[in-house]
Amino acid sequence: MSFNKRSLITLAILAVIVGSAYYFFARKGITYIWHWESIPEMLVYYGSKSAEDAEPRLRMGILMIGFVLTLKISIFSIIFGIIIGTIVGIARLSNEPVTRWLSLTYVELIRNTPLLVQIYIIYFFVGALLRLSAFAAGTAALSIFAGAYVGEIVRAGIQSIHKGQMEASRSLGMSYAQAMRYIVLPQAFKRIIPPLAGQFISLVKDSSLVSVIALADLMFQGQQAVARTYHAFEIYFTVAALYLVMTFALSMATQYVERRLAISD
Amino acid sequence: MIKADHVYKTFKTTDRREVKALVDFSTHITKGEVVVIIGPSGSGKSTFLRCLNRLEEIDSGEIVIDGVDIHDKRENINKIREEIGMVFQLFNLFPHKTVLENVTLAQIVVRKRSKEQAVETARGLLKKVGILEKENVYPSQLSGGQQQRVAIARALAMHPKIMMFDEATSALDPEMIGEVLDVMKTLAREGMTMVVVTHEMGFAREVSDRVIFMDDGQIVEEGTAEHFFVNPTHERTKLFLSQIL
Repeated sequence: MSFNKRSLITLAILAVIVGSAYYFFARKGITYIWHWESIPEMLVYYGSKSAEDAEPRLRMGILMIGFVLTLKISIFSIIFGIIIGTIVGIARLSNEPVTRWLSLTYVELIRNTPLLVQIYIIYFFVGALLRLSAFAAGTAALSIFAGAYVGEIVRAGIQSIHKGQMEASRSLGMSYAQAMRYIVLPQAFKRIIPPLAGQFISLVKDSSLVSVIALADLMFQGQQAVARTYHAFEIYFTVAALYLVMTFALSMATQYVERRLAISD
Repeated sequence: MIKADHVYKTFKTTDRREVKALVDFSTHITKGEVVVIIGPSGSGKSTFLRCLNRLEEIDSGEIVIDGVDIHDKRENINKIREEIGMVFQLFNLFPHKTVLENVTLAQIVVRKRSKEQAVETARGLLKKVGILEKENVYPSQLSGGQQQRVAIARALAMHPKIMMFDEATSALDPEMIGEVLDVMKTLAREGMTMVVVTHEMGFAREVSDRVIFMDDGQIVEEGTAEHFFVNPTHERTKLFLSQIL
């Protein structure tokens, strides 16, 4: 990285902003006793859990358990989101009016209602009918939610591929499905990686909403820990950092994939 | 081999006007014949080609290729298209596939050939179009002329009975037109049935059996290339030729 005059000015402005913010809070005189020492055992600890499980060993703390569950929900929702989104994206461009209307209705219905409401509906109504666990209901809600957004991204991606690609494939005798599978979709997916990455990062963060159906994800466990210890600042900072670990890893992974796929450009 | 009779095709423009692309268009093309179609832009040349492999649906009339009515909905159009190679003005190579993959893909997924067989066929054809040394590069690294030769190899790999060229040299820099035309001439001399939309009268003169001049969706005049050079009869034809020659 090379610094020029302009970056020095930017840094100076940044320093002034951070400095005044610190001064402001210092004058307010917030006296908060930090308890960072209670955080590590919420991640990992060595010891026994209960009378039945007394053998002392390395165990996951409450936040780490939540982290793993959030990770699981996110991965499942991303996978199902891609599957639903691809189907919806193709359906949106169908020649068949009913297919087109159905997929559009789905997209509009999901995009124009709050995710929180969808989670409640799927858990309390659909979930009760089908006897879904909180995990299944939460994952279903997030997948259906992501599917609508991914569907629109996939549709835009397909439309961005020059129609000559489809024509060339068809003129070689490929069926519509073969042309989609081998020619159009691979190119479309390569092009939509950046918006997809953004969507999935949002999804990881939105997954914190499933804590409302008592699903013990990272957010839920964080709230529990705060209720028990009142160390709200430390715990929520840690929870935020753990979400950041997931979303940042996702960012890096997509950038890596994008670079790898760029070789044919 | 190709029988087009009384074909009508109308397009609707975005402002809902109707454009007649083909009007009572009829022509018969025999096996091994090389037919060149010329005419001003918008005269329906490309539309006719695209109707021949049903990239466009026709409004009425009949197109029969090898005894098969290709606009009959009951026919499997994919099967028919395997037999008709098409080369596009903008090449339309698959940018995410290497040159070799471009030529082998349809062989494998459509013709169900084994990978080894497909690669062998592809290498033979790439050698024929003079570009074998580039088999592992991506299309974006090739010049326009090279891309178009790959596109020809890709179409030939299906072993089609008919080859169609839709202004195959129009998007090329002048110095690259020759290398593509040479490949096309070789094909013509080998007896391939070809329908070629082009403005290259030199090509028409050298290898074509018949030239069709189209305007406003209809055949204005047809004959040998010599006929067009020596004594074109219609005023419209004379005007057009004076512009392109």
